[in-house]
Amino acid sequence: MPPSPALRRPLIGYGLLAAASLCLPLLTRDTYYVDVATTILMNLVLTMSLRLEMSTGQLNMAHISFLGIGAYASTLLVMRGGYSFWIAMWVAGLVALLCALPIGSLALRVSGPYYFLITFAFSEVVRLIFNNFFVGWFGGPSGLVQIPKPDPIRMPGLQLTFAGKVELYYLMCALFLVAAAVLVRLDCSRFGLITNAIRQSDLLAETLGVRVFRGKLTAFALGSFMAGITGAFFAHSHQVLHSSDFGLEPMVLLVVFTVIGGAGSVWGPVVGTVVLTVVSELMREFHHYETLVYGAVLILIMLLMPEGLISLPGKLDRLLRRGGGGEAEAMGVGVAP
Amino acid sequence: MLNGFTLALVYALVALGLTLIFSIFEIINFAHGEFYMLGGYVTYLGFAVAGLPYLLTLLLAIVVVGLVGLVSERLIFRHLRGKTLNAFIVSLGLLWVLQAGAQLSFGVLDKSVPSAFAGIIRLGGLIISVERFVVVLAAVGLIAVLYAFLQWTRLGRAMRAVAQDPDGAALQGVNIEVVSMVAFAIGCALAGSAGGLLAPLFAVSPAMGALPVVKAFIMIIIGGMGSLPGAVVGGLLLGTVEGLGSLFFSSAAVNVLGFLMVIAVLLVRPRGLFGAA
Repeated sequence: MPPSPALRRPLIGYGLLAAASLCLPLLTRDTYYVDVATTILMNLVLTMSLRLEMSTGQLNMAHISFLGIGAYASTLLVMRGGYSFWIAMWVAGLVALLCALPIGSLALRVSGPYYFLITFAFSEVVRLIFNNFFVGWFGGPSGLVQIPKPDPIRMPGLQLTFAGKVELYYLMCALFLVAAAVLVRLDCSRFGLITNAIRQSDLLAETLGVRVFRGKLTAFALGSFMAGITGAFFAHSHQVLHSSDFGLEPMVLLVVFTVIGGAGSVWGPVVGTVVLTVVSELMREFHHYETLVYGAVLILIMLLMPEGLISLPGKLDRLLRRGGGGEAEAMGVGVAP
Repeated sequence: MLNGFTLALVYALVALGLTLIFSIFEIINFAHGEFYMLGGYVTYLGFAVAGLPYLLTLLLAIVVVGLVGLVSERLIFRHLRGKTLNAFIVSLGLLWVLQAGAQLSFGVLDKSVPSAFAGIIRLGGLIISVERFVVVLAAVGLIAVLYAFLQWTRLGRAMRAVAQDPDGAALQGVNIEVVSMVAFAIGCALAGSAGGLLAPLFAVSPAMGALPVVKAFIMIIIGGMGSLPGAVVGGLLLGTVEGLGSLFFSSAAVNVLGFLMVIAVLLVRPRGLFGAA
């Protein structure tokens, strides 16, 4: 059955993304680049799921905490419980989901800047718990070390090990492709329409019979579940955990990637994460100047392109067509009442 | 306990600036702590390097940081009124620019500023160092000046009007552009004054703004975002709770306590203790 026209463009985008991520290790086997690419894919799951939550108009500053909850949960299950990584990974996602339901139910009672700040408070509480409490479990300020890599898969006729960087890259790639498929499909589903309606006007959406709170909580829980599973991968590929991995700094980077790319589109986080990671890798040797230039670039992009980098093609298009009849149409405001 | 009170009072200055800017722009300025840091460095340059009198340096810190705030409002923040998300990213960018700028100009190491005042004061059984006394006095004085300005001057009234209802204020002939510009500058100057006041007590470093700005966030959430009395009360409340908490709990638990207060306040009274409904 051919895909409906509404799904054609997302399908093409997804196909390109899948092809690019699957072929990447064919271009280089340099462990450094493979490492960077793995981090990009990991961040992509995080930014794309963060954008799912942001599509309801709420910026969740505790998103990184669910990465942490998943990471610690899976580590403890494997190291203390003796479970296989392949079980612990899913349980990690479930634990993150179970933590997300009460936290989300409480936090989503407020919105706007208040939601931003209450989730920030939650994330700090979670980080401080990892850092200072239950030291016997979470390792306290020194964190957890010597976390084993994912167990090998042995089946008749097939043996997969995950000792090397490239194998880990493909594992992350598989996780990413599943998560991205779900998120892209959701974006052009009924649920995507609901989240968009909530963002544009939650009051109006509610009067039209949209269950606003349930929509927000569903996005929150699903985003947290994805972050939790990514956390399991994070723990077992890095093999060390520290509470600062789940603090304000990495969280801020996720928000920057998402918003600079453009939170309005499902592809925005992809553009933002890839472009900014590559840019900061290229500037790495400039040290302090890197931060300086990076900061200045953020300011400029936000002032010139408030909708993010994803709006650049549309802007250029409009610029080229200026004077023609297409301008109002391209702006999408032609027949606004 | 008394030291905690001094700190809370100075951090309340940072919080006042943050809440003043929020009340006009409806944005959360994450770079606010960097204006505090700039105030610290102006004091370091003026007092420790150039050898100017301390109080003159403090004044200098207020003026210089206020001017930097003014410039950043004109160039950047005036385009971001009400755009919380974009303003967040932009203020992060500014934070990185200012921090990297400080690292490039002064190095990453702490710079110590000598004590401005020696000696102690005995009040009955209470012993207070003159230095802390001056800090408390200056902080209270600045809060009083800000209050008088907002309460009784024309510009101050206009500022409160814009905070309440920008459209209504504009209809009454208030020049919103000017008022916003001045409010942003004053907000930054307050952070700068806090940096100047604490520089002799702690060392100055490029990353020194992180802690006060987090404390200031907690204070303005407790007090109600955009409420100036709320910022002061929130500051004193946080200082008291942390002071009392540190008698019974570890410092990590006290930090958790502050954030739990934030969560509790936002759930029970989302607009804070003094916030408008």
